Amino acid sequence: MVLTHTTNHTYSHPFPTVTLAFFLRYCSPQLNPFANHVLSTDTISSQVDPATGRLHTTRIHLKKSRMPPSIMKLLPTSITGGAADKASYILETSVVDMREGWMSTESRNLNFVGVLSVVERQLYTAPRVAEPAGKTDVETKVVFRSRLGERIRDKLGQPHAAHQEGGWFARLGARGIQRSIESLASTKTQDQLGKSREGMKIILERLRQTGIMGVLELRKRARERGMEAM
Amino acid sequence: MSQSLATQCNEVKERYDTCFLKWYSEKYLRGTSTADNNECSSLFKEYSQCLQGALKDRGIDKLLEDAREDNKENDAAFMGRKNCK
Repeated sequence: MVLTHTTNHTYSHPFPTVTLAFFLRYCSPQLNPFANHVLSTDTISSQVDPATGRLHTTRIHLKKSRMPPSIMKLLPTSITGGAADKASYILETSVVDMREGWMSTESRNLNFVGVLSVVERQLYTAPRVAEPAGKTDVETKVVFRSRLGERIRDKLGQPHAAHQEGGWFARLGARGIQRSIESLASTKTQDQLGKSREGMKIILERLRQTGIMGVLELRKRARERGMEAM
Repeated sequence: MSQSLATQCNEVKERYDTCFLKWYSEKYLRGTSTADNNECSSLFKEYSQCLQGALKDRGIDKLLEDAREDNKENDAAFMGRKNCK
């Protein structure tokens, strides 16, 4: 079972600024009010490939779970690992090629993958010379895949064992549950995509007004205020 | 940026992020960066060392390995795209 969702969008900002906004999007809630669900962000690798000049970056974000609570309640704790752990680790990899004018990104959840794996791929491109400058196209493709049925069969060791359990799972059927999880998550993600776009626009506007130095200054002031409050 | 996963790494992360963002916006995006982006590398090393323990404690190193394995299985379908190297 796999569900795919593709959208296209054009930002009214030049390509280099959009790629900078991508790195800044979880910078601080003062800068992006739509990033309140992001608890932490860490870079685990970042390097320029000397042959191609491409920048390869890997980051890990900790986000409040996007898994709808209704799903978490449905699932046995043996699968969710205990609903108490509601945060998801997200692995984000990105490649920027300034010469060719594209940035490709991929984000995927690292935990709960047995229940649902969400892989979001984005391709940002600078328009071709003939088109008006100062715009950036982005294609977003999200793939949802639930492996719940496979996981349960693996756990019980044989294909028909789930029925012998006779619980809710046997009644609803693995396929039905997988489909419900995928479509619930898909609906939630479409909503989230709108918010993440709004967040990008706020950052882009701020960059247009104050440039990167203004953004860094804002971030510094926000952090100092946070420390005073503690 | 936002906080680090490990609060003890917040300070060095902050310094690294600032260095990275300046380098990215002032050099990389303008095409004036040398290929061996060295100017933030000592900060990155310090930050990375701080983070290693936290990644291990939370089992993230293991999750990363699993994700890489999973990638190998799934990526075949996307190999046609120029960006997926």
